[in-house]
Amino acid sequence: MTVAFRNVSKVFADGTLALDGLDLEFDSGEFVVLLGPSGSGKTTACRVLAGLEQATSGRIEVGGRDITDLPPRERRMSMVFQNYALYAHKSVHDNIAYPLKVRRWPRAEIDSKVREVAALLDIERLLKRRPRQLSGGEAQRVAVARALVWQPEICLMDEPLSNLDAILRLQTRTELKRLHGELGTTFVFVTHDQEEAMTLGTRIAVLKDGRLEQFDTAHEIYHRPAGRFVAEFIGRPAMNTIDGDIEDGVFRSGDFALPMPGWAPGRAVLGIRPEHIVLHEEPSEGTVAFRLDVPELVEPDILLFATCGAVPLVVRTKAERIDLQRGDPLYLEFPVDRLHLFDPQSGARRT
Amino acid sequence: MSRGWRLAGIAALIAVLVIALTPYVWLFMTSIKSRLDALADAPVWLFTPTLEHYPKVFLDKAYLPLVFNSLVVAGTVTVLSLVVGVPGAYVFARHRFAGKEDLFFFFLTTRMAPPISVVVPMFLLFGYVGLVDSRTSVILAHSTFNLSLVVWMMRGFFEDIPREIDEAAQMDGHTKAGMFVRVLLPMAAPGIAATAVLCFILSWNEFLYALILVAFESRTLTVGIPGLVTPHGTLWGQVAAVAIVATLPIIIFTFLVQRHLVRGLTFGAVKG
Repeated sequence: MTVAFRNVSKVFADGTLALDGLDLEFDSGEFVVLLGPSGSGKTTACRVLAGLEQATSGRIEVGGRDITDLPPRERRMSMVFQNYALYAHKSVHDNIAYPLKVRRWPRAEIDSKVREVAALLDIERLLKRRPRQLSGGEAQRVAVARALVWQPEICLMDEPLSNLDAILRLQTRTELKRLHGELGTTFVFVTHDQEEAMTLGTRIAVLKDGRLEQFDTAHEIYHRPAGRFVAEFIGRPAMNTIDGDIEDGVFRSGDFALPMPGWAPGRAVLGIRPEHIVLHEEPSEGTVAFRLDVPELVEPDILLFATCGAVPLVVRTKAERIDLQRGDPLYLEFPVDRLHLFDPQSGARRT
Repeated sequence: MSRGWRLAGIAALIAVLVIALTPYVWLFMTSIKSRLDALADAPVWLFTPTLEHYPKVFLDKAYLPLVFNSLVVAGTVTVLSLVVGVPGAYVFARHRFAGKEDLFFFFLTTRMAPPISVVVPMFLLFGYVGLVDSRTSVILAHSTFNLSLVVWMMRGFFEDIPREIDEAAQMDGHTKAGMFVRVLLPMAAPGIAATAVLCFILSWNEFLYALILVAFESRTLTVGIPGLVTPHGTLWGQVAAVAIVATLPIIIFTFLVQRHLVRGLTFGAVKG
């Protein structure tokens, strides 16, 4: 069974174009992450899929069936909200049981289902409490339990971890991954946190301005970004990108020159990740001299912010070189197989 | 809290209670005093109680149907205003539409005009449609100003419920109507209770519209009381007896919903 956005656009009443012809297709059982900066349309995409927002144009299909006009309750999807949206006047047990109750499951079955999912999420001891007696992490688990209890085809999660503190966020992340493995339910997870996206998603859809930039595995998105935007959005710190020209097999930008034999001439954007640049102690063939501006220790790594003329660059390397001072020369090697080249106009990848 | 503060608090409470209850106790005493005691120059604190005023005014003077009229009017007004106003308030709280805030303010302006300026045209209108001197006319008139109260109060209560609750309820399998009735109304219950009490009291106490719009058969209690001011003097005992009976429904109603009322009236204050 496939889930598909077909040329879906969404224009809000105030004229905001949230989705601009989104095309996206994935299979059931996947853990799809919608990733993008704020305003990229990732939450809107999730809500259009849920039926909470109506697409302005285009179609949503599940297993070949057009569900664009179906109300949320007929879509066999559940949702976990950022603020959990638990029913404050119901106990935890009744919160989890609610989707079953509304769907008129037999009473005996409701009870056993609630206990089953509570055991799965390790919240059995909370069943009698009220939502306001729960910590953020506990409320989160209850919200997830409520979303999974009736075994929907797709479980949507709209930034479910962003209200949790850092440690809890890591734990819950691992937990979600485990749940996905055990249940095999399709998860669609919205986040602006690339680390969350990279660790959770079987595939990641990177969105920008309501359009799909790239839909691929974390590995591909990191190693073969489809365009300049994805390249600069993924990675910490961001990928270095340098605007310049290729002429006679040499990439130039101001004082910076890098031999790139065999590349087509013309204007180009060169990209390389900070952690892929190799730092040498002595100048040698194939290294370019930079000058260190600011060293920043991020144990166990060190970030070196350097310039070559007007070209700024950041290098990420092991923190063995804490002896480096401002103004020291850096001899940097740019391994050819780590270089990316993008079109300066469209930002698209050039191979 | 220290002992001293505790005592001071109790003293303050007693003072407030005395101030609040004295008129009511006085009213009650007047209702069981003989005419002579009631009109005595120096207040009489010790007297032989009499229950003569109650049967006299309610049975002999046939004021009992007026209690029924008032109950029907205030009850119907409360239900009608809530049935129309609560869904309206929800729309104001959740939806966006052109002229929303203007329309919302318009509801308030219906309460700004002095009632006396509206009541005469209203009398003429009800006359055209043949509703003068019917409970229906009073119910409709009271509903006009109670509706704005309901919309103004309930909008805030709905806005205090996160929008995601609506959406969670729909994801959990409700239709929009089911979500409103089964999830939002129970969550807004404290607010609805508080609003209902105010609606009931406003209609129950209302005098001007009721006076102008009804003549005899469908008089409410408030309109009945001035009938006891006779050319031969005011029948204070009977006035007090009617007034005591008039306060009972409010007291009972408030007790019934008080569990919700405290939460409802302090809703904004205790949040977060």
